[in-house]
Amino acid sequence: MDMVPRPSDPEATASAARAARLRLPTERLPQVTALLAHVQAHIDRLDEVPLGETPPAAAFDARWER
Amino acid sequence: MRPFELSLTDAATEIAAGRLSPVELTDSVLARVEATEPALGAFACVTADRARADAARAEAEIAAGRLRGPLHGIPLGVKDLFDTAGVPSTASSAVWAGRVPDRDAAVVERLVAAGMVLVGKTHTHEFAFGGETPTTRNPWDTGRIPGGSSGGSGAAVAAGSCTVALGSDTAGSIRIPAALCGTVGLKPTYGRTSRRGVASLSWSLDHVGPLARTVRDCALLLDAMAGVDPEDPATVDVPPPGAVGALDAAGEDLTGVRVGVPTNWFFEHVSADVARAVHAAIDRLAALGAQLREVTVPHAEQVLGTQWGILMPEAAAYHRERLRESADLLTDDVRLGLEVGELIPATDYIQALRMRTLLQRGWAAMFADVDVLVAPTMAFAAPLVGQRDVTWADGTVEDVATTLIRLTCPADLTGQPALSIPVGADPAGLPLGMQVIGRPFDEVTVLRVGAAHERAAGTAGQLAPVG
Repeated sequence: MDMVPRPSDPEATASAARAARLRLPTERLPQVTALLAHVQAHIDRLDEVPLGETPPAAAFDARWER
Repeated sequence: MRPFELSLTDAATEIAAGRLSPVELTDSVLARVEATEPALGAFACVTADRARADAARAEAEIAAGRLRGPLHGIPLGVKDLFDTAGVPSTASSAVWAGRVPDRDAAVVERLVAAGMVLVGKTHTHEFAFGGETPTTRNPWDTGRIPGGSSGGSGAAVAAGSCTVALGSDTAGSIRIPAALCGTVGLKPTYGRTSRRGVASLSWSLDHVGPLARTVRDCALLLDAMAGVDPEDPATVDVPPPGAVGALDAAGEDLTGVRVGVPTNWFFEHVSADVARAVHAAIDRLAALGAQLREVTVPHAEQVLGTQWGILMPEAAAYHRERLRESADLLTDDVRLGLEVGELIPATDYIQALRMRTLLQRGWAAMFADVDVLVAPTMAFAAPLVGQRDVTWADGTVEDVATTLIRLTCPADLTGQPALSIPVGADPAGLPLGMQVIGRPFDEVTVLRVGAAHERAAGTAGQLAPVG
């Protein structure tokens, strides 16, 4: 899979925070960037597994009365 | 033996026989709270007056021949994440300071109806988002953390400042403090117990369950807590566990029980003391008749990505408004985690949910020839307060936050029942834990294996030497 590397710098973090409509003070950017990169490194390992037609383990029950 | 030292099972036996009153037991536990709290900080609030009044009421009812059952008159600690009517319920957060709900959480309601005596709210890592519980110290060495997020419950049960306690487990938060404080802790199957009235960390991963001195004590709590609840859509309408009856009937013999021993993941990057203690415990199970089978854990390298990919966005969604309106009141590590959760793309979250499906299928296949899996609960004994990293024998450096959840989070992802039991101590006397993971809704087999080990090892109910 042709995955573009994720940017990992304070500027990219600030941009992502704006997209999430989250005010992120400049002084917090370095630590948020560092933890985000750490978490993303784990999440990126999901790309090693072909998911094919696997559905998400989401919960929804269409019954009105339970 | 002083009353606070009794396990739930033993205290219930004494109360039923008329040799111990709930008032004596509660007074003894409250005195223990007073003696240990300066060193431990296990409680967010102590409800001494209410406890004495509840105990007096229990005593009168029992004297009048109206014993409700084995939980009647037994002191209970409730994690501050759970709502308790008329009692501050703050999730150990300044954001919720002074918050007093008018309704008990569903499981608290059940335990109060069974006659339990609330002695206080035990500290949680703020909003359950962390494995340390920085407000609280480990009763075996107050320079060390109790683990978390149910750290107050682990410390209090281990110290004798409540007989049993409630915890929640999203990445390991019942089993982590149970292992590091030397108690038993049960994470029931996802959907076995209601989370209504318990602040969420991650809806699709949150479980609630007991911490106690013995396996049978956990079974007593499970039987009282379990049940479908229309107000928690994750709960499942399955027959009640009947755990205590099954446990008492089963005895110590494990002949015919197939115990899976993982060849990967669970014994990688664990301390030599942990590996030694857990292998000794596995040998003990074999001596009791269990058949050991080596198994390979599927998709192990995807476990942490799946866990973080689900937990962090769900936590950020739950706290969306708080992060925008009260961020300054959050502790820095929780604020940081929520900020990062905001920045995980929805597609990554959904990929993690899809991976969870594969993990569930993989674990089901791994369980084809085994009844339970046994493994270390924690990779190490309780770390020092303030310790950020751990260096393993091969030179790998791992952050403590990851080490704390690495071995417990698989059972949260698959939703399977998982019990942590004490299996000895390291040379410094710090407790070590082993987890027994079972098939969905088969808590009975998990408890049976745990109880058999507990009896064989002869270490049930050991209290920490604090205070």
